Amino acid sequence: MSIDFYWRIGMEGDHASLRTPRRYNRGDAGGHRPGNIAPAIRGGELDGYGYIDHMAAVAKASESAGFLGGLLPSFPMTEDPWATAAALAAETTTYRFMVAFQPGFLHPVQAARMSASLQRATGGRLVYNIISGGGGAPQLWWGDKVDHDDRYARTSEFLDVLRGVWDGEPFDFDGRFFRTAGAALAPGLAGQPFPEVYFSGSSAAAVAAAGTHSDYYLSWLEPYADLRKKFDGVREQSAKLGRTPKFAVRIDIVARHTEEAAWAEIEKGWAFVDKDAANRAAQGDSVGAARIKGWVPEHITGYRDLEVQPNVWCGFSLIRGGPAFGLVGNYEQVAERLDELRALGVDAFILAGNPHLEEAYRVGEEVLPLLQRTSPITSGQDTL
Amino acid sequence: MTDFYWELPTRGDGRRVATELGTRGGFGVGTAHSVATDLRPGRFGPFDELAQVIHAAELSGVDGVVAGYDPSGEESWIVAAAALRQTRHARVAVEFHPAFGTPVYASKMSATLQRLSGGRLEWRLAVETDPADARSRGDRVTGRDRYARAAEFLTVARGVWNDEEILPGGFGGTGYEFAGDYYDVIDGGFRGILSGLPFPVVHLTGDSEDALALSARHGDVHQFALTESGFEGPARTLAALAREHGRSVRTLLRVPVIARETSGEAWARVERLWREVHPGPGIDDPRALDRGESRWAGFDRLGHPQSIGLVGSYEDVARQLSSLRERGADGFVLLGRPHIEELHRAGEHLLHLVDPAGRTLATQEAHS
Repeated sequence: MSIDFYWRIGMEGDHASLRTPRRYNRGDAGGHRPGNIAPAIRGGELDGYGYIDHMAAVAKASESAGFLGGLLPSFPMTEDPWATAAALAAETTTYRFMVAFQPGFLHPVQAARMSASLQRATGGRLVYNIISGGGGAPQLWWGDKVDHDDRYARTSEFLDVLRGVWDGEPFDFDGRFFRTAGAALAPGLAGQPFPEVYFSGSSAAAVAAAGTHSDYYLSWLEPYADLRKKFDGVREQSAKLGRTPKFAVRIDIVARHTEEAAWAEIEKGWAFVDKDAANRAAQGDSVGAARIKGWVPEHITGYRDLEVQPNVWCGFSLIRGGPAFGLVGNYEQVAERLDELRALGVDAFILAGNPHLEEAYRVGEEVLPLLQRTSPITSGQDTL
Repeated sequence: MTDFYWELPTRGDGRRVATELGTRGGFGVGTAHSVATDLRPGRFGPFDELAQVIHAAELSGVDGVVAGYDPSGEESWIVAAAALRQTRHARVAVEFHPAFGTPVYASKMSATLQRLSGGRLEWRLAVETDPADARSRGDRVTGRDRYARAAEFLTVARGVWNDEEILPGGFGGTGYEFAGDYYDVIDGGFRGILSGLPFPVVHLTGDSEDALALSARHGDVHQFALTESGFEGPARTLAALAREHGRSVRTLLRVPVIARETSGEAWARVERLWREVHPGPGIDDPRALDRGESRWAGFDRLGHPQSIGLVGSYEDVARQLSSLRERGADGFVLLGRPHIEELHRAGEHLLHLVDPAGRTLATQEAHS
């Protein structure tokens, strides 16, 4: 059975490596310094290229390296994934654009129309990452008034309408958030493949909202025991609804030819980390970093304190924005950890590494070929 | 400087009047397979054909293209994003209606498009959408309320936009607050890479009092359709309203065009298209719709959104466009079909006749 591997695109900028933490030198988010690219400085002036040109390079690198496509995340300070996917459609061949979006920012009929045109522009390469929660931002920054508890209910209605109009048959819907009367995609837009749905959220409310329209439950990497618990919960909820869920995990990776070389990368990045901030994170005082609390010592003395199980390191959020947990190790170790996740029931992966361009090639060429050809057996779970 | 825009196809393109007979862009019903070997299926899609129209517009020297809102056609944001990525010079106006989503999200998508295009994105807001289309989407805002909502939409969209560059600040905003009848924002506002960009130029349309009032306060450009009664009256009203707010609004005229080397060839083209939609004996004479000054009142019968357009030789049509400019038009939105061919005609034969100053090389003028 083949597994779908996606790679992430950085939607704000990218680092040359983790050794230059929180400093984008690809794109213009970190200002214009010597050594920056896209735009670069030539003859004392900006060269006219922009971050979109670097994103195009990452998308093409992901294609070359054997990834099915890439996740285009969406945050208040980043580029918009719909606009980016539509702009890059013609420059890629097989790359699937996993567009992250929150129901509520777009009317579902509008989302259906944009999706259908994007399918026509790409030959069916659109994938959804549907996010119901806040994504870290206050919802009213986005102009979204719907309360947190109502957002899963809205997501459910949104997907009902989106799917309902998709085939071009008149669709009536009378919901709390949306209402349609004979809405349908026009004949010219109807008939496209419906995008696969990666659904963020794993609670009972999330499982209910994902409904019959979602293909994968997407989670950030966590300690494997936690993931197993989470997957079991989703399986249980799904069983009540008569469904068999599929799972995807989003993982940052630092893989090198030796384990020492991999940890050396972390060590260099760690040199820039504010150790007080790290300790506050470990004690759960700071917003956004509380998720590592309980997995690390209360007083952190070094970066290896954050290795919560072999090759699983939870300090990524301290050296660059984003999720805390990721894999660090040699190529074989990282491949084994990925195989273990398959054994836990993971059906698809969204991988990432800084810099995204070079690491796409590295992980595609060095790690993915080491994964077991057949589905890993579940006995490996005993050691987790 | 006269601005020329071109209205992009929304339902494909072709030599025939009927959409279903269009052979380009994937909205036609398809023709029987010819004997020619065809390797296109699965490799060459509708956006490859649209890209050729966009490329033709760019090479023909039009200043901008419009991706129109058409519930039965291609989605305009997807078209606009592709067009901006594929061009260097052309401005791209995306048409959408306020109920499409939140104004913050419209601005957010636009920020990315401004970044990747060097600030060439423009908006055309469709306020008066087809009532049946609006009902089907569950949009219960009707009548004059649509203009109130559009005003709020544009207020919020501009409100979260920061023309000046603001330092990044994580998930934080810049303190923009709005509590309206249709939209709410708390601590909104773009920073970092989303700041320091030009807000899209806003085009609006319509002749009604509400439409002109909205434009006077919130529009940068107003597009009038060429009509038999002319555009000068509403344009004067708009100018007066805008002055009350200390503003001015540029005027564009929407004009379908059939121009050829000779007037006879242009009319022959009209006749041929006319016979397509009025087959059989005893048909009306299209010449009966001749309104003088190269104006012809039958374009709506050929699939265009308005009846009046220009038919004639390049010189005739250029003379009329120049005359309309002298009467107050700052530019034109041209419509023609098939798009690629008509764009080339416009670029090679028409634009420089209407706008010689803007389309003659300065150094060359000295030689001639």
